[in-house]
Amino acid sequence: MNLYRRTLLKILGLTAAGSSLPGCEREVHNLVPYLLPDDNIVPGVANWYTSTCQECEAGCGTIVRVMEGRAKKIEGNPKHPVNEGKLCARGQAALQGLYNPDRLQGPLRREGKRGQGQFRPITWEEGLAEWVEQLRTHAGKSAMITRPVSGTLASLLTTLMDSLSGRLVMYESTGEQTLRTANHLSFGTHDLPYYDLANADYLLSFGAPFLEHWLSPVSFGVAYGKFRQGRPLVRGRFIQVEPRLSLTASNADQWIPLRPGTEGLLAIGIGQVLLRDGLTELSSFHRTSFHQTFSAFSLEDISTKTEVSEEMITQLAHELTSANAPLILGGGPAAAQTNGTTTLILINALNVMIGAIGRRGGLQWMEPQISPVDLARPGLASELTLMDLAGEFEQGSRTLLHLYRADPLFTLPPSLKFERVFDHAQFIVSFSSFLDDSTSMADLILPDHDPLESWGDVVQQDTIPVPAWSVSQPVVRALYDTRPIGDVWLDAAHRLGEPLRERVPWNTLHDMLKSRWQTVLTKHDSPQSFETRWRETLQEGGLWPSNIPMRQTNTVIPSITYKPPEFLGNSSEYPLYCYPYPSLGLHDGRGANRPWLQELPDPLTTGMWGSWIELNPTTAKALGIHPGDRVRVTSGYGSIEASVMVFPGLHPDMIAIPMGQGHRAYGRYAKGRGVNPMVLLGPSFDGQSGSLATGGTRVRVERIKGGSRLPMLEESGKNPVIGRIQETGGL
Amino acid sequence: MSQDPQATEEYSKTAASPYKWEMVVDLDRCSGCEACVVACHAENNIRISGEEEAAEGRAINWIRIERYWEGDYPNVKAKFLPVMCQHCDDAPCEPVCPVYASYHTPEGLNAQVYNRCIGVRYCGNNCPYVARQFNWFDPHWDEPLAEQLNPDVSVRSGGVMEKCTFCVQRIRSGKEAAHKEGRRVRDGEITPACVQSCPTSALIFGDRNDPDSRVSHLKKSRRGFHLMESLGTHPAVTYLRRLSE
Repeated sequence: MNLYRRTLLKILGLTAAGSSLPGCEREVHNLVPYLLPDDNIVPGVANWYTSTCQECEAGCGTIVRVMEGRAKKIEGNPKHPVNEGKLCARGQAALQGLYNPDRLQGPLRREGKRGQGQFRPITWEEGLAEWVEQLRTHAGKSAMITRPVSGTLASLLTTLMDSLSGRLVMYESTGEQTLRTANHLSFGTHDLPYYDLANADYLLSFGAPFLEHWLSPVSFGVAYGKFRQGRPLVRGRFIQVEPRLSLTASNADQWIPLRPGTEGLLAIGIGQVLLRDGLTELSSFHRTSFHQTFSAFSLEDISTKTEVSEEMITQLAHELTSANAPLILGGGPAAAQTNGTTTLILINALNVMIGAIGRRGGLQWMEPQISPVDLARPGLASELTLMDLAGEFEQGSRTLLHLYRADPLFTLPPSLKFERVFDHAQFIVSFSSFLDDSTSMADLILPDHDPLESWGDVVQQDTIPVPAWSVSQPVVRALYDTRPIGDVWLDAAHRLGEPLRERVPWNTLHDMLKSRWQTVLTKHDSPQSFETRWRETLQEGGLWPSNIPMRQTNTVIPSITYKPPEFLGNSSEYPLYCYPYPSLGLHDGRGANRPWLQELPDPLTTGMWGSWIELNPTTAKALGIHPGDRVRVTSGYGSIEASVMVFPGLHPDMIAIPMGQGHRAYGRYAKGRGVNPMVLLGPSFDGQSGSLATGGTRVRVERIKGGSRLPMLEESGKNPVIGRIQETGGL
Repeated sequence: MSQDPQATEEYSKTAASPYKWEMVVDLDRCSGCEACVVACHAENNIRISGEEEAAEGRAINWIRIERYWEGDYPNVKAKFLPVMCQHCDDAPCEPVCPVYASYHTPEGLNAQVYNRCIGVRYCGNNCPYVARQFNWFDPHWDEPLAEQLNPDVSVRSGGVMEKCTFCVQRIRSGKEAAHKEGRRVRDGEITPACVQSCPTSALIFGDRNDPDSRVSHLKKSRRGFHLMESLGTHPAVTYLRRLSE
């Protein structure tokens, strides 16, 4: 084709015209759309809108760059107290959720058998009518499994499920239920403290993956930078204890591997030295119980069982007391055992012994504040709560299932037989934006807007120094024929009539949100009108009151009896511990449909676009396995096959596998890629918190035929500086 | 330009002493979290290569996190090193380009002129940092992923070399904004996408010619070094050594 300059300009003109039409309209109707331009759209000029990231539960404030009606880039909101202008890889990739090619574009009705994945498009009216009919039929028997939601949407769903005598279950596979339970038992409050890392000068972490996905990773990242280099004369020292060298552990000054599940025992050892050497002053409340707890084992015994030397235990205790502001964290693999809660309570006891409670650079709680939305939302559900829900479906006391941004069929081990919920549910409605493993089983799909197209708010009152009440606003017009879940529920409530209509009189979630914020924003007799204050709040991204006083916390740590961890599978048949860990990019699997995250090299193995099994070099050698070999990992519950990455930072008796791959559905980038390590796990729980003990199953590994080529950054010739480190004097 | 005489005077200095862009990477802060990598992809329209091409080593990253193992279990360490184009003052990639696609801007950027590039890959061969990446095929985005593309950055077609630009589009707009107000760019006003996103603030960007800028102070640190210093490439990226006992 001969392309002349004039033709090219014509084509370019048409393309520009096409892209400037509102919404998802693709046809070119008008050659000169900017003749009467939208006030907010100036070609070539970017608008920035504040919003709140909803990729995890941390609630980072964001600003979104929008040009010609398209969202281009998400960045951290510099004024937001959680993330101070920073944002993680997953937050940045939220754009690929909005513009994902596999997003559901409108309501769908199942055709054929359940699970065949055949759906036909229907209208919203048809969908809503059918759903409301089902709500009437299954009155008092509905249940909803959702990812944790916050703010106005949480209170709407709570109110509605309450009125419908339904059961609302908020579930997050990395919801840190163990930590919440341990803290409740230790400090008598359900609020998690603010761990003041930035002002600590010594950090001992029992596996807490705070630089990866733990609680509020960006907030911890910001604090970590300050901890290391933010003060002119102080550089914080950091020790990480865990069986696998995680990304967080790689940053430590010293990594101390130990036998999986013995973290609590090590804590007892350290506490024992503190008491023995008179390095701690305890209140009379704790003196007796702590002496009892911490003298239950001899140091020699502890050293043998944990594989940490007595000298090291003593050294850790002495380092803790010689620091000015030491802090101790526990999580990750330490919490993923059958004794997780006990371990974390022991770690809390150590924090009490070093005086970290309520101290700068320690654990702090703020006075509770009256927030725009009431916080009476249900606590996060543990896996045992989900088992209880499954029982209700089996008995027939629940028959109607709702799903929202939760994929229990993927995130739960098949050994828990959670598919029985789907087998017994008479009708399944999903509000998810993607056909994930669970939504594929739905009868009716009423897809939600993307968070970047929706109104919402996030109320964050723990793990940060000041409360953050953040607002999400739509930054782009909805791309497809989807509807916000809040509006859909309000619509259904109105169709169901009184008394529901009276309890939720609003037509849209936006109305409800504004009416709730009105009470807070007009509280202080401000001369400005609500509309002005509301606009300001939207510009700022939310509201964060300062000068919040600290709350006095009573430590109520009971006398603790250490329990050794229990593992499913005997050690002769299944010699290795298995630890599936949330992947940095894909997390528990929700990031698997975003190509940026699939192509993001894992920082330690540099693997991308797949799954692998990590083995200690000595173990691999003993088993005759070489890097890249294909192996089968078998437990008493299932088996998976993948290629081996030899991983120098791993306990020899352990294998580690990243989570997040092995979807049976979830779009073109995720479907059928890699393996899901949850297949291996048996029904092993931490009894106190009801959490699944993801590290509680034993496995064996055997080499099988074939090899597979996993893309790795390291093997693509892009690690050129290696071998020259000496020259530069080390990193 | 502003009528404020002080600002005018300040602005007139600009011509006399141009900017010299510099980045500092504090390895004692870097946690290897890769927020920079995705931020860079989003800002610079870096294409998605897919599994097959990534396995061939053709995935494109303008910034990557290299990981180095040191020692054996249990005394093993993993150390991270973010590597992007070092914008060398004596860049090995520049003299070998037969068509002057790779050239040095007056502000110290090592620029790549995409529409001059004929894809001989001499520059990539000569770059000791493997900062330059070749487009083996035309980029492709499944619809509607392309809606996200940044209109300020051109999409590179097959047969063209590409690499980190220090987010030259952000430098441009920062300079234009300053120019309109008749002043120099303030320190910290321009942040490339990686610097902007970095949670631990391990990456710092600024003007080396401004003696009071953060980079000017930091690059004097005793922890400072350049990658492969002995090659004499004089990079515009200074690394600060990670501290350890």
